[in-house]
Amino acid sequence: MSRGNPTSSSLTPTDDALIAAIRGGDERALAHLYRLHWPMVSHFVLQNSGTEDDAQDVYQEGVMVFYEKVRDGSLELSCQIKTYLYAVCRRLWLKRLTSKSRFGVRLLDDEEHGPYLNTGAEEDLLAAEEQDRRFATMSEALNHLGEPCRSLLEGFYLLDKSMQDLTAEFGYTNADNAKNQKYKCLVRLKKLFFAHYKEEPI
Amino acid sequence: MMTEADYYALFEAYSNGELAGPARANLEARLAADPALALRYADFTEMTGTLRAYGQRQQTRQQLRGIHAAMLAADAPEEIALPATGLTHTVNPMLRISRTERKLREFWSGHRATVGVAASVAVMAVFATLLGLDLWKTSNLPVPASYQALRRDINNLKHNQKVLNSTIKRIDGSATPPLAPVSKFSGTGFALTSEGYLVTSYHVIQGADSLLIEGRNHQRYHAEPVYSDVKHDLAILRITDKKFNGFGRLPYAVKSGQADLGERVFTLGYPREDVVYGEGSLSARSGFEGDTAFYQVSIPVNPGNSGGPLLDERGNLIGVVSGRQNDAQSAAFATKSSYLVRLVDSLAAAKSATTYPYHLPRFGQLAGTGRPQQLKKLQDYVFVVKVFE
Repeated sequence: MSRGNPTSSSLTPTDDALIAAIRGGDERALAHLYRLHWPMVSHFVLQNSGTEDDAQDVYQEGVMVFYEKVRDGSLELSCQIKTYLYAVCRRLWLKRLTSKSRFGVRLLDDEEHGPYLNTGAEEDLLAAEEQDRRFATMSEALNHLGEPCRSLLEGFYLLDKSMQDLTAEFGYTNADNAKNQKYKCLVRLKKLFFAHYKEEPI
Repeated sequence: MMTEADYYALFEAYSNGELAGPARANLEARLAADPALALRYADFTEMTGTLRAYGQRQQTRQQLRGIHAAMLAADAPEEIALPATGLTHTVNPMLRISRTERKLREFWSGHRATVGVAASVAVMAVFATLLGLDLWKTSNLPVPASYQALRRDINNLKHNQKVLNSTIKRIDGSATPPLAPVSKFSGTGFALTSEGYLVTSYHVIQGADSLLIEGRNHQRYHAEPVYSDVKHDLAILRITDKKFNGFGRLPYAVKSGQADLGERVFTLGYPREDVVYGEGSLSARSGFEGDTAFYQVSIPVNPGNSGGPLLDERGNLIGVVSGRQNDAQSAAFATKSSYLVRLVDSLAAAKSATTYPYHLPRFGQLAGTGRPQQLKKLQDYVFVVKVFE
């Protein structure tokens, strides 16, 4: 099957509009997208021996992949959003099932060689998994960092607080002090982060 | 000497575009010339990038959770209206599931198929075992010397054909003929007294709803069982028809003593539609498995012979044919007539004998004549007993 399948590769105008809106940071567009395809994925997961919670996890993960790609501008969509999301979520759920089950897993799919095989979801997911691993390592490193470095870095990088706010919050005498502290923390974080990140096999 | 932290300050300023022209050019030149520095810078950007992306990811996740919650809330708006009832604690319409139950449910949803397969295998194994044991038992049983009671199953084929024909006629348009009841079994019976008492085997009339007595020239009588002796396989019937006015004098006498070994004996019976004669000798004075109430005779008998009279050469009734042994050559059994006499005596002494007295024939008329003459006289007193259930 070629990637240029005319039926599956045609993007509907609403899809285009949605992607544009999401790229522009429109929260309502994201919510709309989320609501639009939730029934499909939840049905799929429930059909394949999952629970409502599983469905929510898988779907949010899938939307996250899609959303981050859209925000990056690196999304190359060759099919409808619906198909793409389905492919991603299907792949995610399959992985979870295989890790949970001792036996081989077969999904109840009406279309065994459906269009979702050519969505490019596989590569996107691999990238997303690599990203997940990186984030996990980062979270681990932050946990090992200890206070107040952890709160300081989280405040600055994760919560987007300004240096002035942080100076006040942590009781530094001036912003330069806080900055110096932050750099020292970064150095420690770097050691922790790369020690963990590099030693893990890819 | 710059510490690593100092470098980070420099890098941050550089990536934020806060460095002035010369300093910036200086750094760029050093990055190009010094691989160690370049690596340090790459690490720095990767780390800060990861940190920012991580923050972004957490925000997005939060956002998606919000969206999901909002969606659920929008789907079920009636749940929000509930706390207005004024209860002190929060009302949660969600089903509370205990941890054990949750685990059980997870187990069930995960292993449903396996459990099902296991259960069906277990059920099948149980039944296979039971069946196998049963088969094994029956195949290992010592084959019992089998006794066959000789009442005859009527072949329903003829009757079915008749019913079919009548149905076809009915379809043709004629009036509906009443369906004749099907006789299920038949045996033989013979006259006991001239007043209308008959004798047959108990197993012939066992479970009967109604009895029909049919003679050689197709005269028919209704009869009812008067007394049954299960142990000796005897039954006494009485003809109930109003028109019936006696058999006339019976040509045979009922012997109250025992017959001798080796006596020539014969019987008449209805193993098929016509009366059948059978001849042999008295081969033992005890019956199946040594039962002294029976004789063993060497007459070939068949289903339907049951209840037939067993007579000696002088035409005395000495027994009632009852059954045969399947795995022995021509071993038939007949109830001794002495038991019949005893039974009749006890009945005569009891009630109802006044209305319908028993007068056993005392003297036979068959002695001294040839066998064909004997049979000619005899066959008017031997009947088919048809049993309806």
